[in-house]
Amino acid sequence: MIRPLTAALATLLLLAACDKPEPVTYTIPKEERNVAEAVQAPQPSAPAADGNKMQVLPGMQEAAQAAPELAYEVPEGWEEFPPQSVRKANFRVSDENGSAELAVTVFPGDVGGTLANINRWRGQIGLDPIDAEGMPPITRPFTISDHGGIIVDLQGPEQSILGGILSFHGSTWFFKMQGATGTIAGQAEAMEAFLSSVRIEDEHH
Amino acid sequence: MATLFKFFASLRLTVVLLAFSMVLVFFGTLDQVQYGIWHTQKLYFESFLVVWSYPEQAPFYDKLFWFHLPMPGGYLLGGLLLINLLAAHLTRFTLSIKKSGIFLIHFGLILLLVSELLTDLVSQESQMPVDEGGRANYSQAFRENELVFIDRSHPEHDTVHSIPVSLLEPGKRIDVPDTPLSIRTVRFFPNSNVGRAQAPVADNLADSGAAVQMNVVATPAEVTYAENEINTATAYVEVTGPEGVIGTWLVSNVIDERFPPQIVSLDEQSWEIALRFTRFYYPFEMELIDFKHDKYPGTEIPFNFSSEVMVHHQDESKDQKALIYMNHPLRYEGLTFYQASFANQDTTSIFQVVRNPGWILPYVSVLLMGLGMCVQFGMHFIKFLGKRKTP
Repeated sequence: MIRPLTAALATLLLLAACDKPEPVTYTIPKEERNVAEAVQAPQPSAPAADGNKMQVLPGMQEAAQAAPELAYEVPEGWEEFPPQSVRKANFRVSDENGSAELAVTVFPGDVGGTLANINRWRGQIGLDPIDAEGMPPITRPFTISDHGGIIVDLQGPEQSILGGILSFHGSTWFFKMQGATGTIAGQAEAMEAFLSSVRIEDEHH
Repeated sequence: MATLFKFFASLRLTVVLLAFSMVLVFFGTLDQVQYGIWHTQKLYFESFLVVWSYPEQAPFYDKLFWFHLPMPGGYLLGGLLLINLLAAHLTRFTLSIKKSGIFLIHFGLILLLVSELLTDLVSQESQMPVDEGGRANYSQAFRENELVFIDRSHPEHDTVHSIPVSLLEPGKRIDVPDTPLSIRTVRFFPNSNVGRAQAPVADNLADSGAAVQMNVVATPAEVTYAENEINTATAYVEVTGPEGVIGTWLVSNVIDERFPPQIVSLDEQSWEIALRFTRFYYPFEMELIDFKHDKYPGTEIPFNFSSEVMVHHQDESKDQKALIYMNHPLRYEGLTFYQASFANQDTTSIFQVVRNPGWILPYVSVLLMGLGMCVQFGMHFIKFLGKRKTP
């Protein structure tokens, strides 16, 4: 009687040893990679100086069109252009210091997170990237369309960016004004007024 | 042989084993403070022997640092208790109606011990974050990592070649399955600090990929057992093809999909190389339709977290809609999805995914034990009632 018992117990203990991990191969359905196609040659993070050229990847335009409707009040002196491609709204303003352009875009997900986006903007105006500790001095919370967003204030050698980033029910909205530093400084108040006036169609509440 | 059998069946052994169990639970609870629940479970309960050492934070550590207490671990105690119970039944107990209750209780207990062992050996827990409106077809391990080579050349599917990180020993060569590649681990850090240097680093262990393009550098750090902290597993991996070394890459679970993929190329073929939390892919996609975080009106106190999901299976007849909320998991295709957590201001829901084929055994064993107790005490009660009637 004891022999079959010990045999059963020995098998049970052997099963415990069978837990050894092994290399495996398996197939999965095609996955998309958010970042642009495989980079083999060295390619540092700062892209070309003209930050307004953006590679529109497939699906972005449909995603922008599917995004909720946007309402706002246009501040005085801002010229409005019709929305195009992935831009939900488009403005330009000029003064004696130069000109600046505001583009409103929306993308699904968090597009890499706030820090990655701030560093992307920094790269566009020739600034070095920062880490998480560098965020508080250049950002402040700001309510956009009754939700918690932030304003980012970046000053570069020639151009500056004053922008709003809003995380909104699984998408991220970007309100980026980029242009001559003097113009941006002069439009700071108008930018805040514009952001306060923004209303994004909200089906969630 | 008979004395050995008698030893295993003795009640004295039961008492000794139960006493050791109390000691094990006591010291395991003490050590959980520094090791966290996952590691303590492995050290104390999924082992045969464990040694408790006097903790650094306790008083008089300078005088008592040498104190090490060995004790039998969970597998040894549980195993012996099981043998003890079975042996007792085979020798001392005789099956009779009078003792049927006790037999039921003991059978339930045996089932419970066996189910515990089965759960340890066979079950698998992972987590699945899903964004509102988004879908997920895989879940991630909490602590285990894997080194992967992903071949995205086929138009219809991607092929993943995965090597568990527990196999990465410095200097050891491992073949990447189903590829002409093999790897040799130069360094492996279970936890590390990964950062970007301002300029290219001298003596860089890597010569390809992000380490070179973005000056990423990693230094080893102490493994953390805290529940809400992540160990940044990092490795320097040298990849070799049939004609020699292709290059050395720095891979880390912090270098994830936000970064450009690191590519290993050999002639016409290329693979994405990465280190990430071990993924478990499923033949279905979990879509999060809506995540609700209800609070008591006028307060910030939550009273309900719920996720409305739609599961899209590759076989459409298995599609299912469900509401997952606290104490109401979704049981689907041998998996159980619990509402575990949430993120991104209530737009991301995180499920705990448990695969445990033996999940029903504890319920059955507790039912048996309850039934056994009812039968045994019921018989005593009826006997007592009978005695009362006769003067």
